[in-house]
Amino acid sequence: MKPPNHRLAVAAVAAALTLAGSRLLASSHQDAPLAVFDPAANTTDVYAFVDQEHNGPKSLVVALGVYPFEEPGIGPNKYNFDDNVLYQIHVALGDDLKAGRATLSYQFRFTSRTKNPETTLYNYLGVIQHVGDKNQNFVQTYQVTKVDHHSGKRTVLGAGTCPPNNQGIVTPYYNQGDNGENPAKPGVKTEAELDRYTAEAIAKLSGGYISFAGQRDDGFYADIRAIFDGFNLHNPGKDNQGGFNIHLMALEIPISELGGDRQIVGVYATTSRKRLRILREDRDERESGDESASVWVQVARQGNPLFNEGLVAVEDKDRYGRTSPELDNAVFRQYAENPELAKFINAKLLGGMHPEITTGRTDIAAIFIPDLIKVDLSTPAARRTNTGGDDPETGFSRLSIFGGDVLKSQIQDPFGNGGFIPGGWPNGRRFGDDVVDIAVDALLSNLKVVPPVIHTYPPGDGVDSNDMRYNRVFPYESTPQNGLIHGHHGLPPE
Amino acid sequence: MNQRILRVGALIVAALIASFRGSFVAADEPNSSTIARDSCALALLPHEGTGGLDLEIIRVQKEVRSASDPTAWLAQLGWLFIVKARISFDPGFYKFAEQCALCLDAKKPGCTEALLLRAHVLDSLHKFKEAESVARELVKKRGVDVDYGVLGDALMEQGKLDEAVAAYQAMMDQKPSPQAYSRAAHIRWLKGDLPGAIELMSRTVGVRNQHDPESTAWSLVHLARYEWQAGDTKKAFELIDEALQLQPDYPPALLERGRLLLGLGKTMEAIGPLKRATILNPLPEYQWTLGEALAAAGHGEEALAVEAELKRRGATDDPRMFSLYLATRGEDVSSALRLATSELQTRADVFTLDALAWAWMANADIEQAWVFAQRAVAEGTQDARLLLHAGVIASAASESEKAAAYLAKAALTQGMLLPSERKILATAQSANSAFASGSKDSRTTQSSTKENQK
Repeated sequence: MKPPNHRLAVAAVAAALTLAGSRLLASSHQDAPLAVFDPAANTTDVYAFVDQEHNGPKSLVVALGVYPFEEPGIGPNKYNFDDNVLYQIHVALGDDLKAGRATLSYQFRFTSRTKNPETTLYNYLGVIQHVGDKNQNFVQTYQVTKVDHHSGKRTVLGAGTCPPNNQGIVTPYYNQGDNGENPAKPGVKTEAELDRYTAEAIAKLSGGYISFAGQRDDGFYADIRAIFDGFNLHNPGKDNQGGFNIHLMALEIPISELGGDRQIVGVYATTSRKRLRILREDRDERESGDESASVWVQVARQGNPLFNEGLVAVEDKDRYGRTSPELDNAVFRQYAENPELAKFINAKLLGGMHPEITTGRTDIAAIFIPDLIKVDLSTPAARRTNTGGDDPETGFSRLSIFGGDVLKSQIQDPFGNGGFIPGGWPNGRRFGDDVVDIAVDALLSNLKVVPPVIHTYPPGDGVDSNDMRYNRVFPYESTPQNGLIHGHHGLPPE
Repeated sequence: MNQRILRVGALIVAALIASFRGSFVAADEPNSSTIARDSCALALLPHEGTGGLDLEIIRVQKEVRSASDPTAWLAQLGWLFIVKARISFDPGFYKFAEQCALCLDAKKPGCTEALLLRAHVLDSLHKFKEAESVARELVKKRGVDVDYGVLGDALMEQGKLDEAVAAYQAMMDQKPSPQAYSRAAHIRWLKGDLPGAIELMSRTVGVRNQHDPESTAWSLVHLARYEWQAGDTKKAFELIDEALQLQPDYPPALLERGRLLLGLGKTMEAIGPLKRATILNPLPEYQWTLGEALAAAGHGEEALAVEAELKRRGATDDPRMFSLYLATRGEDVSSALRLATSELQTRADVFTLDALAWAWMANADIEQAWVFAQRAVAEGTQDARLLLHAGVIASAASESEKAAAYLAKAALTQGMLLPSERKILATAQSANSAFASGSKDSRTTQSSTKENQK
């Protein structure tokens, strides 16, 4: 309840403003919420990079995150994939890459089940020993289907089970010392070291595919607030995503499934919901249900980091989410060639002295248009990190090429340096890439000339690592934060 | 609303406005620039509270004050006030949201975000015609999914169902979303497609947003009502429990739990949640239900006190529901008719048509009652109260077969009726049955009733 003085103030304002003689009614109409977020269909990040385990065959790892800002721990809130959402990770090959058109789509569909509905304990009936055991009351399974848009062929690759969310006491094996009262385990270097739930949830599908779907820590780190607060950066900055979880779908695709490694491929992701008829006209339609008469409509899209969030104008953001990358060249190129973010950088970091960085950025457009993450498959495996950022053991630099982390391509030499290209974004995107700092450096630099003229802004956004250590092995994204004990924005767990 | 508080409040706000203007000019004729200035000032009246939403409102107000271009922040502030209004059931916050829209429009004339915010606020304040006008402008100017949504809302409340369906379909076609599904569910329910309503509303409750749990709680309560109507009271209780876990002390969920218990004859158990709901949201619908529960439990004096409060504020707080109450009680039936007639000027949806039909019936004008009752049931809405009224009126209009059919349908979900309405139903069924057997072959009526039950 509000304190009386505030109720009075509210009444006062309401009274004074009844200029049109309106009555103040609070009931008796439908009052459906209008501004509803749709977190289960809200994409956070897409990842794509080349992997190669133990000198075996190469693979392309792709991943899609949804459900931003999950506060760890589940009270009344349930965080899960939505059975009514079609999640897709698309791969464009050959001519489809330039056209911004998917050649292959990997579809994730989820099915939820509550084993014992006779309890108010939605998710956990006790300590979960193994994924899907009797104490995991709420269980989601999923099926992965490959769709080849050229042949029209659909292939079910297999199915998996989602691990539980990291609640705390009932999910001890996510946490240090296998104790639910401790913070979540840091990432590991080998598969053998993975926590029990994560390891058990990795599904081997047909054709050499490997998948995972479940809760993870949000591995994106940046002082997003400062960026959207007039680009007033601080050092140190604050990791706004720190301490929050997401839901992640990850898939390891054998390169052979994509036609070999002598190519650059594009990766993006979408979420879709069913378009239904408001009224079902007759008995037949009512009896056949909604599914049969409905079609999927794309409601969100994600490609490169920061494009829609940081470059596309507010009035076009929703349009971006609903359209295909095939339209990017015609509709969204302007935002990449004349990036508004560069105007802030020029104003705030360069004293307004370098307006040339704000227009004619064909080099930036080459990254973002069409908005697919471009991955050169001919390189060796991308370096991975077992820290929250730089990893001296592997040579992983959070800054990718701006930190000297490069890979040798066998099929291109865009910078005239013998084929050395970025080790991370914008050649693919790895878990741990500091995409904000990379973007700032790219905007400061001139990548249109060969060799490129590089300028960097070392402080960046003042956030240089994730608050959790990544796994160096599949599914790479960090362990989900413990609902019982975690810290936000870089603060220690409490 | 308490008139004394309003007057005191008006004085306070006049002083506040004056303090923002720098001189005491509250009595001046307002012009567009002063309205704009006052709107901005009022939107930024220091907010109080320590809850998460309150702190967010305070933070965004600060951002509005300091930003060189506060337009995006103003829109965000407006939507936060709407969330606050929905959670607190204090419509004053809708007025703050409206000030955000007016301020936004003043800073950025013709801004679509201001139009959307304003249309939604007007709809929430029952200014449906004005809301429709603003929403039409918005659709013409921009036409994204939520624009069609707010247009559909205004049309639906006015009883323009075909146009509302078209608007909602446009919303759905552009972007299927929880808000599109919930609207479609309600339209299906209005049209008598209960399984279809359940199917769609179920799609909205899978979505959880920690920053706006009320939206999910709202869907859960509506789904509970549908499940109850479909006969699954166990599921309905589960959904209400879930709503209350998400949004503790959520008045619509407490009311629904009380109604369910009352419907199941668990009168004593019903009183607790109904009392709590009525304290939190003292509106006629809540007071009437609580009053009936108290009376059924033998707490006559307490029931009278609750209904006295209902009578004191009902005409202002919710005239349509108060009209129904008066007509059902057979008290001050001329006021019931006046209130329902007046309500029809604002909206002509099936529930207003029903209220008016019931008021005419209470005033013994059966011809008029039958005219409006037929319009009320024309969409096929399967609502126990609406069907009860139609049945009673049809019986009085000597339409005994139709009466039997409506009453039989009402009887299928009579648990959803208040105890006094159930008595009316029982009386009406026997009276109509007696009348039918006296005038027609009773087998015909029974057969017709069974057919309708199917």
